Amino acid sequence: MSGDSMQYEVLSPWAEADPVPMKGLTASRQTDLNGKKIGMFCNIKQASHRIAPVVERRLKERFPSAEFSYYRGKAFSVSEMEPQNIDNFNKWIDEVDTVILAVGD
Amino acid sequence: MLANYGFVTDSYSAASGKGMPGIRSISEKVPCESTVAADIEAGVTEVIDEIIETLTRPLTDQEKSPPPMDTGETSRIIFKGNLGEVNRFFYQRGWADGLPVVPPTEEAVAEMLTGTDFPPDHVVTKIIPRMGKATVEKIAINAVMAGALPTYMPVLIAAAQAIMDPKTRFDTFEVSTGSWAPFYILNGSIRKAININCSSGALSPGDIANAAIGRAMGLIVKNIGGARKAVEDMGVLGNPGKYTLVIGENEEESPWEPLHVSRGYRKEDNAVTVFFPNSFSQTIPMQTDDKGIIQAMINNVRGGGMAGFLLIPAHARYLANEGWTRKQVMEYIVENAVTTTGPGVPLPSGEEGVRKMFSDTGSMIIVVAGGPGVFTGVLTSAGGGAMSGFGNDFVTRKIELPANWDKLVAKYKNVVPTYAKY
Repeated sequence: MSGDSMQYEVLSPWAEADPVPMKGLTASRQTDLNGKKIGMFCNIKQASHRIAPVVERRLKERFPSAEFSYYRGKAFSVSEMEPQNIDNFNKWIDEVDTVILAVGD
Repeated sequence: MLANYGFVTDSYSAASGKGMPGIRSISEKVPCESTVAADIEAGVTEVIDEIIETLTRPLTDQEKSPPPMDTGETSRIIFKGNLGEVNRFFYQRGWADGLPVVPPTEEAVAEMLTGTDFPPDHVVTKIIPRMGKATVEKIAINAVMAGALPTYMPVLIAAAQAIMDPKTRFDTFEVSTGSWAPFYILNGSIRKAININCSSGALSPGDIANAAIGRAMGLIVKNIGGARKAVEDMGVLGNPGKYTLVIGENEEESPWEPLHVSRGYRKEDNAVTVFFPNSFSQTIPMQTDDKGIIQAMINNVRGGGMAGFLLIPAHARYLANEGWTRKQVMEYIVENAVTTTGPGVPLPSGEEGVRKMFSDTGSMIIVVAGGPGVFTGVLTSAGGGAMSGFGNDFVTRKIELPANWDKLVAKYKNVVPTYAKY
């Protein structure tokens, strides 16, 4: 094929996309996890619900006064920003100091 | 974020796609979706120090104020070279599917655009994950690359709209580990106009319409949507159906109303129906009476979820002669298709033992297709359907034809293989 002398000027198949507005992280990181409420966000994958308690137990060994609060996704690939989820999610976020998401994959 | 090491790149892509590239991901070695306590314990223990450090490390300036994301090269004319050079360029950019492509020159794309009345800059839809703009011209460029004919443009436009209907849950099935592939079923007179094979070997290579429409859709998804293999598209095993899975219903030999009519369209409409199966199976009935045929359809399904049954015309006619409607066949399957979890191996929900494979007739379609013979087929979507929590569905979309349709068909209708006589 490379020996073909015919020249082709070709158009790009790659599409334009509107730029995604960037959102910086604004919540300050914790300097010490003792006494903090750590949010454990589990998506719907079954491993997520098994990983999170192990992380909790391991962290409690280091930070005995840390508290933990769980939020569990209810449907595959449905954002917590969707109207049916956002109020509960925001309420939960307001109650925790930091969040760990266990994906399960 | 805790992610298996194979999913860390995907996690960063997902975060960037939401405008939050600063999300911190930790690579762990817990096997994906593991239920084995020892593996989880070991995987978490290995990264617990990193988890603590990640939670407590101060934010960097870049995390607080990330730079704009690079949206990639957008020049209209992208390269000049000979056939081999063009192919290598596209392949190395990640814009091909592994097979040679037809160079999308200005002339070839202009010819492809004769297949639609929409202007080239008309945005048909935006395709995830990049939300790339599927303009008519970009669809045409990818169609040229796939070897499509201009008469396929109306199908490609409708198919692009169909996959982006939220009910398909394309957002999950395009990229998920289950390697689902879009299956397109065409109905209406357009099947004959563009020579879609509905009969013998319809899903085999050798028919340009069946081959190029699916291939073009694959390139459209890849190059307009931007899903990259092993970055966003995390299919564990992959799926040869992603090259093409296109069939027409054999309406002429079907005893029942066409699929699109059963889904609310008029008989004279042209339509494309799509869903995302991840396996294709064929079997042979032990008995060819009505119950034997339907039992073979049931036996051919593993696991349930969603199913697109491919019922050959001979079987469909026999069932119809025995008084079965398409709906009654589906109701029988819903009632009688069961599977078992296996002794001592419950589902995560705790459910154990015999369970139904389909929740209702909305979890399946029956397409009359194929040629002479006795085999029956099914494409199943493991994990799909109402029972899965995805909430996905079959989607049917009307295909709109351009004003010059008859002339266009006349121009390309004779592009068919003529085999040597021996």
